[in-house]
Amino acid sequence: MTSLFTPFLFQSAVQAITPILLASLAGCLCGRVGVFNLALEGQMLVGAFSGVVGSYFTHSALGGVAAAMAGAVAFSLVLAYGATAFRGDPVVVGIGMNLLASGLTAYLLRVVFGVSGTFSDPGVVGLGRIAIPALQGVPVLGWGFGRQSALAWAAWALTAVVSVVMFKTSAGLRLRGIGDDPDAAGTLGVDVARYRVIAVLVAGALTGLAGAQLSLGAVSVFAEDMSAGRGWIAVVAVMLGRNNPLYAAAACVLFGFADALSINLQSQGLPNQLTDVSPYLATLAALVIGHRRRTRTSRRNVSAATPGDTATTRPRAL
Amino acid sequence: MNGRARWATFAPHLRPPPVALAILFSALAGGALVLVSGYNPLLAFAEIVKGSLSFDSLPDTLNWATPLVGMTLVAAVSLRGGMVNLGGDGQLVIGGLIAALLPLVMPGPGGLVSVSALSTAALGAGLYATLAAWGETRHGIPMLISSLLLSYPAVGVTSYLARFPFRDVTTGLPQTAMIPAAARLYVLSGALNVGSLLIAAIAVTVIFVDRRTVAGYELRMRGNNLRFAGYGGVNLERQAIGTMFISGAIAGLVGAIVVLGSQFRFIDGALLTPAYTWSGLMAALLASGEPAGAILAGLFFAALQTGGFAMQRETSVPRVLTLVLQAIVILFLAIRQGVGTRGR
Amino acid sequence: MPEIEAVGIVKRYGGLVANDRVALSVDRGEIHGVMGENGAGKTTLMTILFGLQAPDAGEIRLRGAPVCFRSPLDAMAAGMGMVHQSFKLFASLNVWENIVYGAEPTRGPFIDSRAARAEVAELAERHRLAVDPDAAVGQLSVGVRQRVEILKALYRDARILILDEPTAVLTPPERDALFSVLRRLAAEGRTVLLVTHKLHEAIAVTDRVTILRDGRTVASLRTAETSPREIIGAMTGRNVNLNVEKGPGHLGEPRLTAVDLTVAGAAARPAVDRVSLSVRAGEIVGIAGVAGNGQNELVEALVGLRRPDGGRVEICGVDVSAADVAAHRAAGLAYIPEDRAAVGSALQASAADNLAMGFQRAAPLARGGLVNPGAIAARARGLIRRHAIRIPSERMTVGRLSGGNLQKVVVARELSHESPVLIAEQPTRGLDVGATEYIHERLVAERDNGRAVLLVSAELSEILALSDRVLVMFEGRILDDLAQAQAEEESVGLLMAGRTREAT
Repeated sequence: MTSLFTPFLFQSAVQAITPILLASLAGCLCGRVGVFNLALEGQMLVGAFSGVVGSYFTHSALGGVAAAMAGAVAFSLVLAYGATAFRGDPVVVGIGMNLLASGLTAYLLRVVFGVSGTFSDPGVVGLGRIAIPALQGVPVLGWGFGRQSALAWAAWALTAVVSVVMFKTSAGLRLRGIGDDPDAAGTLGVDVARYRVIAVLVAGALTGLAGAQLSLGAVSVFAEDMSAGRGWIAVVAVMLGRNNPLYAAAACVLFGFADALSINLQSQGLPNQLTDVSPYLATLAALVIGHRRRTRTSRRNVSAATPGDTATTRPRAL
Repeated sequence: MNGRARWATFAPHLRPPPVALAILFSALAGGALVLVSGYNPLLAFAEIVKGSLSFDSLPDTLNWATPLVGMTLVAAVSLRGGMVNLGGDGQLVIGGLIAALLPLVMPGPGGLVSVSALSTAALGAGLYATLAAWGETRHGIPMLISSLLLSYPAVGVTSYLARFPFRDVTTGLPQTAMIPAAARLYVLSGALNVGSLLIAAIAVTVIFVDRRTVAGYELRMRGNNLRFAGYGGVNLERQAIGTMFISGAIAGLVGAIVVLGSQFRFIDGALLTPAYTWSGLMAALLASGEPAGAILAGLFFAALQTGGFAMQRETSVPRVLTLVLQAIVILFLAIRQGVGTRGR
Repeated sequence: MPEIEAVGIVKRYGGLVANDRVALSVDRGEIHGVMGENGAGKTTLMTILFGLQAPDAGEIRLRGAPVCFRSPLDAMAAGMGMVHQSFKLFASLNVWENIVYGAEPTRGPFIDSRAARAEVAELAERHRLAVDPDAAVGQLSVGVRQRVEILKALYRDARILILDEPTAVLTPPERDALFSVLRRLAAEGRTVLLVTHKLHEAIAVTDRVTILRDGRTVASLRTAETSPREIIGAMTGRNVNLNVEKGPGHLGEPRLTAVDLTVAGAAARPAVDRVSLSVRAGEIVGIAGVAGNGQNELVEALVGLRRPDGGRVEICGVDVSAADVAAHRAAGLAYIPEDRAAVGSALQASAADNLAMGFQRAAPLARGGLVNPGAIAARARGLIRRHAIRIPSERMTVGRLSGGNLQKVVVARELSHESPVLIAEQPTRGLDVGATEYIHERLVAERDNGRAVLLVSAELSEILALSDRVLVMFEGRILDDLAQAQAEEESVGLLMAGRTREAT
């Protein structure tokens, strides 16, 4: 058993958590303001591709990250306006965006770089890892953060920042009110539409960072559909965390570890097709347990945008 | 109806139909993209049309349409009741694997084996889909999420099974052994087999059930207003499980048809690469689950994608462009017209 | 000079003129009633006064000077405050967060929560509106929530306070407490506009009333100088019979029985606490009580939408305690739900589809699993005609119907089941006098035809007028069972607040 919990496990766990954490932060922001975001997968993909393009043409990792954020933000305009001002169904808009991202990045991959499948080129400058030797000896946390890209650190810092803003500032209070009852927020003079657009675009920037971590963080490669379901895991983390960034982060840690553990198990001989499903099974288990606990204590549900909360036979009481 | 009311119901028809607008917008946006990429958009679109609807290419289009319309029905059946089945991929591969393995062990005449494979595939995939329904009714996990989450283990396990225990070691590829020739679906002409007829029959049945049966009425009411259906005496739990079973069963059938009719073995990933599930889901969402509209949308997408292959062959414009065009149509209709998960 | 005036206000929605040159004049320190039936244009006028909408014509004057509100922010800056009929509160935030929302005290980039709490506590103390600043609003009772709404307006120092139908959700004692708060505010020099359709309340607390009918101002009267008949006459334009015609009933067997019915609640206390009741054929039993005392859960258990945690339910002698809605209906139950839009109908479906629900499994609408569209349409047409539902065709969707017409669809459908038992929950909520009279007539007709009718309503006057027997529900229990002759507003009102006769 001890051979499972190696320093390498924690390092790969933190690395795996990073993009999911950033995406779930984005999802929480959108959810809090009443926009159900299913497009995290596509947003990350656009971010990943833009990151590679930016890095390639500016020969710098920073240029890549900036491009990743810009590309994801531009892409997020569809959700920002489509699901708010235009009242589009967020489920369709989100899934449509995912398909658009997949097709568009595949198309541009061929047209811009002339390849299909994957693109890796020395011209793409990846984010180097920041090695902190002093930290590397520290168990668990040190093993996790001793050698990570700057984005891994940024992800946790941003989680803290977003949480503080959401729960301790005026802007955060107004945001939470909008998600609770946009009508009421409007009568108190809050510009609901503007807050929603800004929140979705900020969330877009966060997904851009997530994408940059994917394509520039550990390796410097863009592969078609490389978000590979992480966006969906982020959606689930947001749901499990009820749009609370800290709880969602806890869910992300769970998944990151399941993911890293599965890679570890692969090296022990289990085929990756089976171990890859562990995050999803862990999620299902967590959702079942979470529901059991909720119905037992019947705590008040405070999440803003989760249209899936259907009770099939029990109408909600007044 | 007085004059004003009559005009109010007639006037919307004078505005250009939203679907046509969506296609036009998509063509313009896509055309701009093609132009900027250095190709001729008019040529590209011409090839799409030729490559899908001309007499020679029609069989290809129908062949592609078979699984796509099938997956459209999968999504439409559940969406009609307000349930989003995102687990089509998982249900698809379960059906495909069952259909690829059963003929290897089952004795008997080819026709019997085919029919058994089709039915077992449908049954297995249908049962798997009901797990998502259980997730919602008993454990409060929204169908959208539970169906999606269940998809990955299904894909993973079938992938593993095809690559290891049931792998055909004579080839170097991750696939099962070829099914006996007798078990293959009866060929109609060229690439078309009875699978297409089967899907067509299912399409007609779905439309009939939706319009003319009690179950169809109850499902429509549920999709319209869940609480209204429950209040009216519909057993919501049984309805959810039954609907998801049928939805999953159709997906399993599609997988079986592809395996028994075209690929003759289960090739890891081959059922998923063409993204039938997502295109089908999009077509169903466009029609908000209404079967006839969804089928039309599915046929349109099939033509678009088949044309895309021809376009790539003739003009080198990457065929993924058609996926971009498809997504733009969806987004346009979702944003401008508000199509979506609410039933009609 | 009047504190606030509306002059010649016009507001149209498509072809409908909601406000037709409406005039209003209110003096400082006055409690002014704005009265009218549902649909008379009161709420439209108030939304214009509060800046939620702009009028198509006319102007609003504050202390003689014309003002133009482009949003509630402008109105609030000018000293207006509004307590809406459905509260604009954030259930997931706590009391002080709700009150300071949009105008938060800050310290640097952060909210100064200590200052906010202190301010809220001081305000509550000063105006004698007791609230706990840290309580989660979602957990509060309706009466307390209303106090939070009023504090919201006072936090912004509203000089003119508009209250839209504030007493709809209060017990009589809570209503009296509210009125004393309003009198105090008026004595301080603030102006109060009270929108209500309740006659006796307007008479109790207002100094003057302005009456709207069909979008026009029809009267402006000094309360002390007018009479209930005059006010109602102005509101409805005709002499309305305040009483419902009801002959003596012919009682039959009990058709609906509940024995020791218990339903668990979210809190430690059960929502329905060992309730026993019985409704016989040919009588109307009314359940009086302020919303939120377990009526919802009781009805859900009786109908089969919720499984009771204890006790028994019998419909026409059949034990349906553990059965689902279909079984309850099959045993002989029809149900008019409280929320006609969210539960009682499918807004995007046609009238024909809506009217068919509950019948779709049997002839003549269906045979062997197949439905007969022609029969469905014919049945719908018949019901539309019989109940005079204003809809051009049975194929049209019901989403655009007025409240009264939509309720007619629900009532038409449920009555056509001809079930022995009928449960009607808040059947006239949000309806105008005409529709309300129609529903009342139908309920009495059903009772005269031998049905067992259970009526649940928060409108005490409705319960008292219609019921042969009145049960009062408080905190999940039935406190008393009164015959119609013994039930009158004061005693029932006390029971609704939990004060049993012994405890007085």
